[in-house]
Amino acid sequence: MKSSDIKAVHRFIGTYLIAEGGLMALCLIPALHFGDGTALPITLSAMFTLAIGVLLRQRYKAFHTIEDRRIAYLLVVMIWVVMSLFATLPFLTTGSTTSFTAAWFESMSGVTSCGATVFPEVGTLPASVLLWRSMTQWFGGYGIVLIVLALTPRLGINKFALYSAEASGADNTGRNTVRTVVTVRRTLAVYLTLTLAFIVALYLSGMQLWDAVNLTFTNISSGGFSVNTDSIASVTPLQQYILAAAMFFSGMNFTMLFLLFTFRWKQLGHKFDQLRAYIAVYLLAAAFVTIGLHWHSGIAWGDSIRLGVVQTVSALTTTGSVVADYTLWWTPLTFLLLMLAISGGMAGSTSGGLKIMRVLILLRNARAILRNRLHPNVVNPVRLNGKPISGHLANNVMVIFIVFGASLMLGVMGLMLCGVNPSESIGASVGCLTGYGPGLGASGGFGSYAHFPPAALWFSSFLMLMGRLECMTLIVLLLPRFWRR
Amino acid sequence: MLLMATSMVLPVAVSLHYGDGAQYGLLVSGVIIAGAGLFMRNLLGHNATYEMQERESFWITSVVWLVVPLCGAIPYLFTGVLEDFTDAVFESVSGFTTTGSSVIIRPEGVPQGILVWRAITQWIGGLGLILFVIALQRRLSRGAQKLYSAEFSGTQQRKLHPHIARSVSRMWNIYTLITLVLIALLLLAGNTTLDSFCLALSTVSTGGFTTTQFGMSGFSDLTLTILTVFMFLSGVNVALLYNFFTLKWRRFKVNQEFLFYVVLFLFASLSCFVAFSVANGGFSVANLQFSFFHIASTISTCGFYTDSPAVWPLWPAVLTFVLILSGACAGSTGGGIKLRRLMTLFLYLRNYLTRMVHPNVVFTVKIDHKKVPGEYVNKIFGFIFLYICFIIGGAFLLTCCGSSIHEAFCLAASNISNLGPSPLINSLGASLDYAMMPVLSKWVLVILMLVGRLEIFALLAIVSPSYWKHK
Repeated sequence: MKSSDIKAVHRFIGTYLIAEGGLMALCLIPALHFGDGTALPITLSAMFTLAIGVLLRQRYKAFHTIEDRRIAYLLVVMIWVVMSLFATLPFLTTGSTTSFTAAWFESMSGVTSCGATVFPEVGTLPASVLLWRSMTQWFGGYGIVLIVLALTPRLGINKFALYSAEASGADNTGRNTVRTVVTVRRTLAVYLTLTLAFIVALYLSGMQLWDAVNLTFTNISSGGFSVNTDSIASVTPLQQYILAAAMFFSGMNFTMLFLLFTFRWKQLGHKFDQLRAYIAVYLLAAAFVTIGLHWHSGIAWGDSIRLGVVQTVSALTTTGSVVADYTLWWTPLTFLLLMLAISGGMAGSTSGGLKIMRVLILLRNARAILRNRLHPNVVNPVRLNGKPISGHLANNVMVIFIVFGASLMLGVMGLMLCGVNPSESIGASVGCLTGYGPGLGASGGFGSYAHFPPAALWFSSFLMLMGRLECMTLIVLLLPRFWRR
Repeated sequence: MLLMATSMVLPVAVSLHYGDGAQYGLLVSGVIIAGAGLFMRNLLGHNATYEMQERESFWITSVVWLVVPLCGAIPYLFTGVLEDFTDAVFESVSGFTTTGSSVIIRPEGVPQGILVWRAITQWIGGLGLILFVIALQRRLSRGAQKLYSAEFSGTQQRKLHPHIARSVSRMWNIYTLITLVLIALLLLAGNTTLDSFCLALSTVSTGGFTTTQFGMSGFSDLTLTILTVFMFLSGVNVALLYNFFTLKWRRFKVNQEFLFYVVLFLFASLSCFVAFSVANGGFSVANLQFSFFHIASTISTCGFYTDSPAVWPLWPAVLTFVLILSGACAGSTGGGIKLRRLMTLFLYLRNYLTRMVHPNVVFTVKIDHKKVPGEYVNKIFGFIFLYICFIIGGAFLLTCCGSSIHEAFCLAASNISNLGPSPLINSLGASLDYAMMPVLSKWVLVILMLVGRLEIFALLAIVSPSYWKHK
């Protein structure tokens, strides 16, 4: 472990702590505007965060490049952990909760853009804390790493190693350092534009600016926090559809969105497989839910379409905004929503889960294996966007699938060991690992995780981190051989 | 062709066993099945001279596994034990796939002939599986696909083609031998002839049908201990057992899968014992016995259940669920994903993680000092993916029929791995009352049992469009 690596880590963490402190300071605006008496604690939290950040950053002025891959993985995990640690400050200092466990859970749920909450009555929280929750999701949803990379492209870190650790897996072909910077800039542009556009759209549809800002932040980031206890159930149908559109975009590959928005369709070439699958899965699932709600539960067409459209996109993009208590729906519909969360949106989006791209590769690989069994002498390559993919990539996807599945199972069991009942364990494990947020039973729908025992809360927040880092980054750190030379 | 003949052995063997059932209905159905078997054999026998291809073998395997259980349902209907066609098929498939899920609520109340018949279906199912694996292995080993032949280390590794008949008979011998020994031991332990016979057949085939309403709780401790040992044995690769009993120790030693199986079994049993003892106040022989019995029953996917301790701590429950999915050794009569696949997976995963840190290091996965080709790893991944897909899909359909989500998962998992009933599922609050299930649920479970037994690919192959495209 080189000392220059350690310096780089310090500097890196210092940089984003400054950014975090800056965002925290923004929460002063609602604190002062609504006069809820949280200005002082928020100021203190922000100043403390900023001070630590500046201290770390000033300690090592020179730029250093991280050469050891291990440090890169470690850094990614540390960023999320430290970020979450400082994000607890506003919750604790304003007295929103007295338990560090609860504050940690909420922060982790925020920065991983999960959306599970420990506050049973969100509406009673001070405005500044509400904005902070939305902000952590907006910030975290896009990926702290990407944001920092975009803001400081010359930070001097091996960007490729970091970026691949962050978004390891499906779409690793042909990427290099230069392109990463371009990618980051483009995607950030898309992210900011979408955020602004949806704030304006919601505002124009008659929503309060306060609600519009918060809901946009949490929905465009696939987060799912809300300023209301009943999530998005009480906003008008039009606004629900607008939010559904926001969620839909949040589940799309941002580079693809950039090329689509700037009419550079030629550059997209034939890379539509993933988009097609995403839309197809969404339409099929939404249709199923709509029809199921209408035929089985007897809800009028208008409402069942709205519920189907909004809740399905919320599940598929792992946002977790709740438009109606889906835990009370016909069981297969609830089940389908959980499965959609596991599938997740497109690779390169803010959504969690496995990602549609991987599901596509898994299915095609299974088909290829089947064909191979039938006709052993025929070569059956797995194709994506018309081009055969390497067996290595297919295996990588399989590994992530298996590890994800195993994590999910271990999650269920771990939660059961912590004393959560079986059905809720399944829901919470899916909710936390995929970043969907709400689960089943009392922690699903409009409910909260408030009744979870502390051990279960810690375990759930671990699952969130695990899911956000796509399992492998975290697991590799837990290996003894990782630390051996 | 041999496979044809062996596949036809099943119905013929079925018919031969009919002497056991004293009932008129059993005789009639026996005659019908024997007739059908002979008819098919004559009909197909003429064509069966050409070299078999992949397509044909999939076709035959699947057809055998579809037709035989259908025939097996006839006795239930004719004797009037089960009046519903769905119930009869469910019971029959559950038998032939060695699952052991039953719609007969009170086995004491049905004619003894039917009990014997249930046990026999399991026994044939277990045997059929072994024959199937051997047949599969014979052809697979011709190409580059060495996994199955690696599984059957030794006995068939020599010139395979001329030896296939002998291999089959060896397997059959060892299987029969174990069964006979078990029957004898159970008789010595003081059980009735009927119980000994049925339980032995259920155990050796890892089926799990019992003769009483209350599972195994009415039997003596000695009986349970004997069964524990034999359940453990039935989870071992049959070829390995052959080597063991013919004292070919050298070949026996090198099998890593067996070692893994033993270690896993001991670890699971002992940790369960500790967990039960802590939760139920004090270490006792009863807890020890239950732990071993339960773990052996689960890992071999046998599915016997007995009186479980009053408090069911979470660790055994967690462990049980993992073992349900993992199953026993490849090449045994047990179901599940199989330990060998999981071992390969773990080794690959370890390499993968190391490669994340050191990207330029080249690794290979080795089992029993033999390299496993990358192509194989991919196939294993594909298999597990499909396995999970079927569990999810099955669970989804079960929820449509009114099960709750965790109930549906337990049912789907325990039936696709051919486990059948398990005290775990009871402790989770899921109903094991198969008789009360909706018809659709039963059919879903029937399909899951078959899919699990045929290890997915064979059944999936004949329903895939590309199977029918290239004639």
